[in-house]
Amino acid sequence: MSGGTLNLFIGLAMGLNLLALGSSRLPSLIRAVSLQGVLLGVMPLLLEHDTFDWRVVLVALATMVGKGLVIPGLLRRAMRAANVEREMAPFISYVPSLLLGAGGTIAAVALARGLPLLPEHAGTLLVPGAIASMLTGFILLIGRAKAISQVCGYLILENGIYLFGLLLIHSTPLLVESGILLDVTVGVFVIGIIVDRIQRAFDSLDTRKLTTLRE
Amino acid sequence: MPGPLLLFAFAALVTGIVVGVRMSRLWLALTVAGTTAGFGAALMVLLGAADWEWRSGFSLGDELVHLRLDGVSALFLALLCVVGGAGAVYAREYWPEKHYPASAPRGRVWWSALVLSMGLVLTVSNGLHFLIVWELFAICAFFLITLDRQRREVRAAGWLYLAASHAGTMALFAFFSLLAARTGSWDLPGPMRERADLSSLFWLVLAGFGVKAGVFPLHIWLPSAHANAPSHVSAIMSGVAIKMGIYGIVRFSGWLPVPAAAGWVVIGLGATSALLGIAFAFAQNDFKRLLAYCSVENIGIILVGLGAALLALTHGDAVWGRLALAGALLHVWSHGAFKALLFFGAGSVLHATGTREMSRLGGLWRTMPWTAGLFALGSLAVSGLPPLNGFVSEWLVYLGLFDAVTSKGPSAWAALPAAIMLAMAGAMAMASFAKASAMIFLGAPRTQAAAHAHECGMGMRAPMLMLAGVCVGIGLAPILFWPAIRRAAGSWCPGWGAEETPAPLVALGSVHVALAVLILAAAAWLWRKAHTNGLRRGMTWDCGYATPYARMQYVSASFAGIVSGWFRWILQPERKIRRPRGHFPEEALRLERVPETVLERIIGPVSAAIMRVSTTVRQLQHGRLQFYILYVVAGLIALGVLVLLGGAP
Repeated sequence: MSGGTLNLFIGLAMGLNLLALGSSRLPSLIRAVSLQGVLLGVMPLLLEHDTFDWRVVLVALATMVGKGLVIPGLLRRAMRAANVEREMAPFISYVPSLLLGAGGTIAAVALARGLPLLPEHAGTLLVPGAIASMLTGFILLIGRAKAISQVCGYLILENGIYLFGLLLIHSTPLLVESGILLDVTVGVFVIGIIVDRIQRAFDSLDTRKLTTLRE
Repeated sequence: MPGPLLLFAFAALVTGIVVGVRMSRLWLALTVAGTTAGFGAALMVLLGAADWEWRSGFSLGDELVHLRLDGVSALFLALLCVVGGAGAVYAREYWPEKHYPASAPRGRVWWSALVLSMGLVLTVSNGLHFLIVWELFAICAFFLITLDRQRREVRAAGWLYLAASHAGTMALFAFFSLLAARTGSWDLPGPMRERADLSSLFWLVLAGFGVKAGVFPLHIWLPSAHANAPSHVSAIMSGVAIKMGIYGIVRFSGWLPVPAAAGWVVIGLGATSALLGIAFAFAQNDFKRLLAYCSVENIGIILVGLGAALLALTHGDAVWGRLALAGALLHVWSHGAFKALLFFGAGSVLHATGTREMSRLGGLWRTMPWTAGLFALGSLAVSGLPPLNGFVSEWLVYLGLFDAVTSKGPSAWAALPAAIMLAMAGAMAMASFAKASAMIFLGAPRTQAAAHAHECGMGMRAPMLMLAGVCVGIGLAPILFWPAIRRAAGSWCPGWGAEETPAPLVALGSVHVALAVLILAAAAWLWRKAHTNGLRRGMTWDCGYATPYARMQYVSASFAGIVSGWFRWILQPERKIRRPRGHFPEEALRLERVPETVLERIIGPVSAAIMRVSTTVRQLQHGRLQFYILYVVAGLIALGVLVLLGGAP
């Protein structure tokens, strides 16, 4: 029963990927990311468990709070501080991004079929969902110019890695899991500060204008 | 005992490095004392029977320090000490604090460091330590070459030197690493001729040390570095530093087995260097560049001798090889002495007139008789004329080659062309130095600077006189130097040290003495005759013109015109000619410049092509984060595809 629900949730997350790719407004992009974070947070609870494991509940709670509330909150603050609402002139515009994302999702499903997976994972969408999210993250990172959109891409990429991590939730120690979460939070926090500084120094968040720092 | 002497020399030079900035007198005393002590140690080893060896418990880079002074290294050490001491004395007047307040103290410190590092190159007996001191030596030389670094061409010469030197060092890194890998230790225990698997390493030795020695196609750094360095630095670079390359080749061709082709290649390289080096020298207008190219020629002569020795070794240990080797080793000393003398003389001219262009000089013998006389002596020596040292050493090489030809083995096919090429090089060397001496010292002054030249002081004259004494000494009494050469040859190949003094050498010594007496008598007679009859002084080059003037004289390009025509295929001279037109021509022009052919026509274009490719590749680094991520994704996908195709788990 929970396998079906899990697949439903992953399917939703994959849909949110496409939404993130297709949205031009930053608030809706952040909303998609935060919703995806909450969905991902619920997933550990849906996995089949023989016994009740309080650590899994802890991971789920921390993920929901971190990805659903804290990080989006930080991003919104950065957005307000920088006074940007909309991604202007992306490298890859929205329709091609959507097409690429859709193609990537199909490819991910096809690829997952070909992978030698354990039988208990073969039925779920975990692996294709993970690959699709990572691809989406990459497309956002490559295709967007504003630093905040790139942070969102980075978050979706991380969500994909998290989905992979769910395969191993029983064997990965809690410490590692929470370490990753902490990393991401700190990373976003730092990026938030940097975004603020970039805005103040250059009066723009366009990363294309930062090319002189390459040396 | 050489040990305490070497320790003293080491201590004196290190103290010289420390005090050199402030106290120039103390520095001079320390340098002279240190080099004298080093010279004494080298003589003890050369004239004694035992090598000096010291294995300490002190380790550097996890390797125990192991020093050794045997015949071969003592031979080079003696040369180093003579030129190092003479140059220090010379520098005091040539590069004084008064004119160069910033660079004179720097020059003193680097001088001591250079002499010390070269001494260490000659004594260390561990591959790793050799690389360290070799690098140190290269860097000290770089800072000495760029002593006058305000000038752009000096900096360019310095960088070129450093780049070329490091290219050579790269080969040496490969050599010592492979050697250590195959023998299992960085330590250089001595002869390893029986290890046949090491023979292929000789090519790395030849390439790595060949760059430093300035063998023909690898000589690119040499002319500009020698020409642009201060003259005392040019003297030690040309007299000693390039000999370090020769030392490396001699040392490791003696310790390691060599491939069968080594003798052929070395003799071929030597003959090519000799002929082309002197062809370039003849075409130069800058007299220090001429001297620099002449060093390429002399390195060629040394290599011909060494190549003949290697041939003899691989073809049944022939006796003629010993003569050729002795000639090569003696030529190391000869060239060191007369080339340092010539560079000191060149420095004296440069000091007095401020120009290196022969076409702006002339008539200097009136104002600078000492320099003119000593330069002429050096020119005679470098041209290989009896009764001076150049003749003795070249003659030994020739004897070796002639015996190889008459022995009718396969080696004759190498020895005959080499002898012919050496003879041509010798003739052209004479022409080159006739040109240099005539352009600089004879005729009428071509410019104001040349007319107002002044003789150098005792501080510069004394080292020149000392080196001239060495040149005459080797020329008149080669017997005295034979034991040292024999000892070095014995270190190179154990069986070759027992040789008694060859009879021709004894005869040569007495012939030279007789010749010298005759020349002196003739000179005295001419002097008397000229002074009793009275001299009529007229305009030089007064060939019946109504109003002769100095610009009618031959210039260096016209002097060398015919011969540089023969070598046009390699010299590639750039000419600009405007011929006189009409019955009353108003202007005519002929400019000629000989480029650094190897550098400008081969290395330059190749480097430019590499730079173009690199610049294109560098556009990948544009600073756009998005594309960097794209590179990462593309790389990841490529890896994934690779794994999928490879069927890895």
